Amino acid sequence: MIVPIGPIHPALKEPIRLKLQTEGEKVVKAEIEYGYVHRGIEKIIEGQTWQRGIYLSERVCGICSYEHTQTFAETIEQICGVIAPPRAQFLRVITNELDRIQSHFLGNSTFFKSMDHETLFMHVLELREYAMDAIELLTGNRVNMGWNVVGGVRMDADERHFKPILENLKKIEDGFEITREMFAEGPALALRCKDVGIMTKKEAIKGRAVGPIGRGSGIKYDYREDHYTYEDYFDFKTIWRKEGDNYARTLNRFDEIPESISLIRQAIDNIPKGDIRVPVELKSGYAMRKNEAPRGEVTYMIETNGNLIKHISIRTPSIPNMDSCAKYMIPNVASVSDAVSTYASSDPCVACAERVSITDENGDVELKNIDEVM
Amino acid sequence: MSSLIWYIYDFARKAWTDAFTNAKTSPEIADKPERFRNFPKVNKEYCIGCGACTISCPSPNAIKIVREKDNEDGEGLTYPVITHGACIRCGFCAEVCPTEPKTLECGENHLIHPEFNIIPSKRQYIIDDYLCIKCKKCMKKCPVDAISIVNDKLHVDQLKCISCGECIDVCPVNGAMKGVFVENLQDQKDIILLTVDYLESYINSKEEDLRSLEKDRLLQYEIPLSEILTKAIKLIPDEEIASEIITNAVNRLKIRIIDWNKSECKKCQLCIPDCPTKCISFDEKEDTIVRDVNKCLRCSICYQTCPFSVIKYFIAKFSLEDDNLINITVKASNLNEEILME
Amino acid sequence: MLNAIKDVVRKSSIHVCIVNCGGCNGCDVECVALLSPRYDLEQYGIYVHNNPREADVLLLTGAVTEQWTDNLKRVYDKAPEPKIVVSIGNCPISGDVFNQEGGHVHAPASNFIPVDAEVPGCPPRPSEILEAILAVGPQAIADRGREKK
Repeated sequence: MIVPIGPIHPALKEPIRLKLQTEGEKVVKAEIEYGYVHRGIEKIIEGQTWQRGIYLSERVCGICSYEHTQTFAETIEQICGVIAPPRAQFLRVITNELDRIQSHFLGNSTFFKSMDHETLFMHVLELREYAMDAIELLTGNRVNMGWNVVGGVRMDADERHFKPILENLKKIEDGFEITREMFAEGPALALRCKDVGIMTKKEAIKGRAVGPIGRGSGIKYDYREDHYTYEDYFDFKTIWRKEGDNYARTLNRFDEIPESISLIRQAIDNIPKGDIRVPVELKSGYAMRKNEAPRGEVTYMIETNGNLIKHISIRTPSIPNMDSCAKYMIPNVASVSDAVSTYASSDPCVACAERVSITDENGDVELKNIDEVM
Repeated sequence: MSSLIWYIYDFARKAWTDAFTNAKTSPEIADKPERFRNFPKVNKEYCIGCGACTISCPSPNAIKIVREKDNEDGEGLTYPVITHGACIRCGFCAEVCPTEPKTLECGENHLIHPEFNIIPSKRQYIIDDYLCIKCKKCMKKCPVDAISIVNDKLHVDQLKCISCGECIDVCPVNGAMKGVFVENLQDQKDIILLTVDYLESYINSKEEDLRSLEKDRLLQYEIPLSEILTKAIKLIPDEEIASEIITNAVNRLKIRIIDWNKSECKKCQLCIPDCPTKCISFDEKEDTIVRDVNKCLRCSICYQTCPFSVIKYFIAKFSLEDDNLINITVKASNLNEEILME
Repeated sequence: MLNAIKDVVRKSSIHVCIVNCGGCNGCDVECVALLSPRYDLEQYGIYVHNNPREADVLLLTGAVTEQWTDNLKRVYDKAPEPKIVVSIGNCPISGDVFNQEGGHVHAPASNFIPVDAEVPGCPPRPSEILEAILAVGPQAIADRGREKK
């Protein structure tokens, strides 16, 4: 029997269709049908100047919007041969890590909601609000921050911003320990998520899983290790686990939050003085840059034509993560409700994923299942 | 079990029961931080109507510049109007606004002075020194004082220029002030080349008409612009730029066309040594005279040399009006007559 | 008398379904934030179920993509009467940045279903959404219920 879930369903936040093939209660196969939020964002960015393009790239995804602007800016900087001044790089790290904190909290809260654990859902969302406050205070908006520009950041920050951010971080830390313990040690939750939705390291490599989903399966890889800012100035350790089940993925996201908090503390303590923005002389050329978004590795490939963007191609972490979820995690879970919580544990972001459109030879646009393309 | 005890403990706390009975959203949630970028605030009286905000806005329907009706007190104000349903609250308009104090205010964004933030315009304004009469009208009109005199020549400072285009409107000399697309010059050249090739091959395809054309008569054609435009958009994906380049090229274009009827040719080969680019040759196998179109300069020397008037020489002119039709006018050259009259 | 009782019931218990018809996800995230203890939507008797079949209020986000052009009306028809539609963010109002050359959207959403209230912003703050829902929601539901009689 095939159980279709979505596009509008109590268990899902975003419109997507999850087809589960079941034998009795057991789910044997899963398939994901994309195409409900395809808006053609890459085509819209083509032919625009970077000043506009950076706001458009922000709207690829609403949850990890920050990382998209940073990668966009860094790609154009690479084409023009400049690097943002150190102060701007530090400010970028602060915003990036705040964004990671709120995204991980949101991902975990969705997972708890999918398991119908309202208490933890509320606790986690309450903590998330402190991160959102810090973001709004620093950048001026909660979701689409408009903080990056090519060559640096838009506004400087000083003590009157850093102090409330540190206070908010303290509040997050106070509530974090007990929340994590409730999840990690609580027997009822552990029963529902330990050994459910297992993806082994081999499968994760085969499915190209990235980010906390890959790291939960034993792939010790974080692009931040190779990023010039983190390499030069910061000290952090990559969190990874080897179980590969829902528990590992969720706990992995939890454990990355203290690392992010310590990174923000390091940045605020050691922030250098100087410019926050350098002039950029636009050049034509091609560049590719990667960055570690909350969900994994984001890749931008941009070809510019001097002033205008000739071609842009974005690779977001959600497609490999969701596909490896459908292919390796969901098969052989015990019940449909476990399948839904497994799907939520892969922290899917549909808005990121939907940028593919396939045309037939007549040029008619036809949205197809991603499996047929790959 | 431990979590169950935890819940009971949680519910039994006094703080919890108090919070449960007095559940109320604190009014603090509506407090916005200083930097919060709300919808931009418009100070009508400072606006100079330059349009920098509309050019920079990433959302297509967010900002419109309106002009009030004139009344007894004077001219109506010109100012931007923000549509709340389309504004994405990025604050970029407040950042680029050139007035002092700023017309648009948004969070703290209007306090940014982007000295190296060139307005994202596709057009750059430059002054042609040979045509400029130095009347300084543009200097007076420029709302941001971007035009100044450097070494006795008027010069546009590209970092200050907001690409409003007012200098072009006041300039009394046609062509002295130019708004050019500085980027993708190679693509622009390709578009012009494409247009010329297309028009020439079109006229050459009308061989019959050309050969039957009498002196003092004109041939007139109309062809639609759309075919060239679709090809041009593939090179530069912007209809505005592509159509402007084509319009400029077509209106200035004058093509000279050489055509000869091979069946009437007497194969005297007089034209071969006269050709300056050696593009005419005699093909012994086929027993004909061949002209290499890519090398030919259309200089008309062969036409003047030919003793039998086999080679014909035409001049085509073009014009492109707003109706997206290219008007072609072809007439036979009267060069030979002038020579005869001498 | 019966109507008065119905009004009270309708006003005090509102079930909400979020319909994302193709946006960047930002507005949905802000709607989830509304459930958090800070904003606490449930104290006003508003429950988010994400099930159109038991919804009184449809919260519409997103700019109506190709797939949603026919599905949106179907989702709307499935909600029982009385129902109201509140569109959140700029996308259902004007299509936001997606409504330009290259985009695949069919904004505004009011071409497909009747929209009762709009909250502009990209995205609006949770406090703005809360304010708008409370200002329009309960009374509109009660009025809509009486209209049908």
